[in-house]
Amino acid sequence: MKIRSVANVGLTSFGVDVEVDVAEQGFPGFNIVGLAGKAVEEARERVKTAIINSGLDFPPKKITVNLAPADLPKDGGAYDLPMAIGILAASQQVPKSDGIFYGELGLDGSLRSTKGVLLVGLFALRQAQGEPGAVFVPIESANEAAVVEGVEVYPVRNLKELVDHLNGVKPILPLDHLTINHLIDDSVVEFDLSEVAGQEQAKRALTIAAAGGHNLLMWGPPGTGKTMLARAMPGILPPLATAEALEVTRIYSVSGMLEAGESLLRRRPFRSPHHGISAAGMVGGGTNPMPGEVSLAHLGVLFLDEMAEFPRSVLEGLRQPMEDGIVGIVRAAAHVEYPASFTLLAAINPCPCGYLGHPRRPCKCTDKMVRKYRSRLSGPILDRIDLHVQVPAVEIEKLTLSHPERSEGSRLDLSAAPQDDSKKIREKVISARRMQEGRFKDDGLYTNSQMHNKQVKKYCKLDGETERILRLAVEKFDLSARAYFRLIKVARTIADLESAENIAVKHMAEALQYKQIA
Amino acid sequence: MEKVKRLGKFRVYWKGDWDGKIFEKCVAVVGSRRMTQYGQRVVEKLVPALVHEGWTIVSGFMYGVDQAAHRTCLEVGGKTIAVLGWGINYPMSNDQCSMSNRILETGGLVISEWEEQQPAYWTFPARNKIVAAISQRIYVVEAAAKSGALITAEMGRELGKEIWAVPGPITSLVSVGTNKLIASCQAKMWLPDSDTKSNTKQTEISIALQNESLTVDDLVRKTGRSAEDVGSELTMMMLAGDIVEKDGKYYVSEN
Repeated sequence: MKIRSVANVGLTSFGVDVEVDVAEQGFPGFNIVGLAGKAVEEARERVKTAIINSGLDFPPKKITVNLAPADLPKDGGAYDLPMAIGILAASQQVPKSDGIFYGELGLDGSLRSTKGVLLVGLFALRQAQGEPGAVFVPIESANEAAVVEGVEVYPVRNLKELVDHLNGVKPILPLDHLTINHLIDDSVVEFDLSEVAGQEQAKRALTIAAAGGHNLLMWGPPGTGKTMLARAMPGILPPLATAEALEVTRIYSVSGMLEAGESLLRRRPFRSPHHGISAAGMVGGGTNPMPGEVSLAHLGVLFLDEMAEFPRSVLEGLRQPMEDGIVGIVRAAAHVEYPASFTLLAAINPCPCGYLGHPRRPCKCTDKMVRKYRSRLSGPILDRIDLHVQVPAVEIEKLTLSHPERSEGSRLDLSAAPQDDSKKIREKVISARRMQEGRFKDDGLYTNSQMHNKQVKKYCKLDGETERILRLAVEKFDLSARAYFRLIKVARTIADLESAENIAVKHMAEALQYKQIA
Repeated sequence: MEKVKRLGKFRVYWKGDWDGKIFEKCVAVVGSRRMTQYGQRVVEKLVPALVHEGWTIVSGFMYGVDQAAHRTCLEVGGKTIAVLGWGINYPMSNDQCSMSNRILETGGLVISEWEEQQPAYWTFPARNKIVAAISQRIYVVEAAAKSGALITAEMGRELGKEIWAVPGPITSLVSVGTNKLIASCQAKMWLPDSDTKSNTKQTEISIALQNESLTVDDLVRKTGRSAEDVGSELTMMMLAGDIVEKDGKYYVSEN
């Protein structure tokens, strides 16, 4: 008896045949072969008990289960269901089925939510020839697969119901296809940028980062709103496109991080790992490598608060994903690649105690401590961060002073000072992204930050005066060749935010505001 | 080879080409290790003026005001003497080494009372004694209520040296000591020659920056203009040399 199931290695799915033989002869027993991991070995007890507790017969015979192909490592509880159905079919309790079975059993015969159901749905779609393939998955995870068009997804509550369905006693209805466009909704914004007091320049830098996909480093003492600013970032990023939503959800599906009943991630991810994180936690790892934070932040934001506190090995692990947008993880069992194309937002204190340059509080650090602290950020990482901005301590008096009731005859109406909320900013970001889409349609890029020097030369022509300004700045601020190209990219994004065809002097001048802070 | 030289009542070890003439016209510029941006700017005004009058700058080679004084002196082509708070052969950090080398290359001296002594709490006041002894005047730039620079000033006063202090904001902790010196008449108050140059172009921003140093955000609030406009104008002013930026704040440039 052969039942179809699926094994996920990284984000790649392979078909697995669960072969079940119930021998008439031989000592009763239950054996599993086929490079089964610990969790699969233990399935014996789960399957046996679940069958019995569902009021079905567990044949007292020599049962052998083979998971083919034999050389593909298999782990997790997802093979419980195909094994149980295989045993029941081999003992003529249910008819043979062509569907794909995937799910973990509880001892009472109920199905538990299982990782990777979206990938199973996508696999079934690829395998379907002509007619839609049937997929039997746990009811709690079934919505994940329901977004795949052209597959019949049967949500299974427990083993008994499934048996009734297969025997034609009481059919389970397949789920209706969920259209992705309906699901994507990001009207809810966790933090609105207008909630952050002051910090006009930092907000502007955040806007540029969102528009051009640039990485951003914020310098500033504690309590100035760096974290709030970072949390507001998802709210000004453009909504996920259909293909993007699927891509992100796949990663969350294999990590088992979707909530019960959730079908698709609707919003761009925002990940903020603590600085105690290990290198494997950041880039991904494990015997069967699971996605790390860089992949969970794919197409979203990876926020590193107190960046200098992260172990150096963890930060160095960011280099490959920041460069290539993917991360490769090699382990004995498998070599997998996960996408990891994120916008890095980092916050850092100016010194270990945090108060260097603070208007009121004295800094307790010695020169040496400050230098040591800053040297933790390696050159290669800093080189990949396009925007550097100061987030200074805000003096409350100054903020309240700038309200319109200011007494002296100021001719300026300060209530009109720019106070855009996230929604408005996002519209600007979306229009800037549209310009970039048009520009890069033949290059396979999405944002200005991804440009290589070749594209910079092609798309970022500078007029004489702008070129002169840039050269002057390079000389005056002692900027490297790499910084030169970085500035042009940022200037390009600033021009895009104004829908300007060419980079003008003022765009370049503004870009220079965000050069690296020594 | 001779290892120790007599210097007044002290015996010192030294590095560099010893030339007695260097001690003829010395002033000390001392101050807090926790120098603020204000202190930095004071040093940049004070030291060039002293060098211009032909003084050799003596200081204690510690980070903060001391090093700023040495550095500024070297930048404007003056001679400087560094009095170490530790033994002459005690290993220095990279930064200290390069600073020391520059001092020696420009004909300055690095001296110390000890040969191998490592730095300790008592070595720095001991070093201050030499600083005070070889200088005719002592300028104190930024000193907190309890600062080593005040010890130097006190020793100098006892030796009958001329003591000067640079006033600071009364809200700043590292100006408490200097302001007190002035208020209690223990020091003369140093003020720069007031030749405020007339700015050629007066923009909203340059007017705002005339009296205080401001961040971009301050300027955005003061002018009511957007961060992008203010930022791009500041860059242009910086490139033109009208203003300078330090730790996120903008100043009208001195020269």
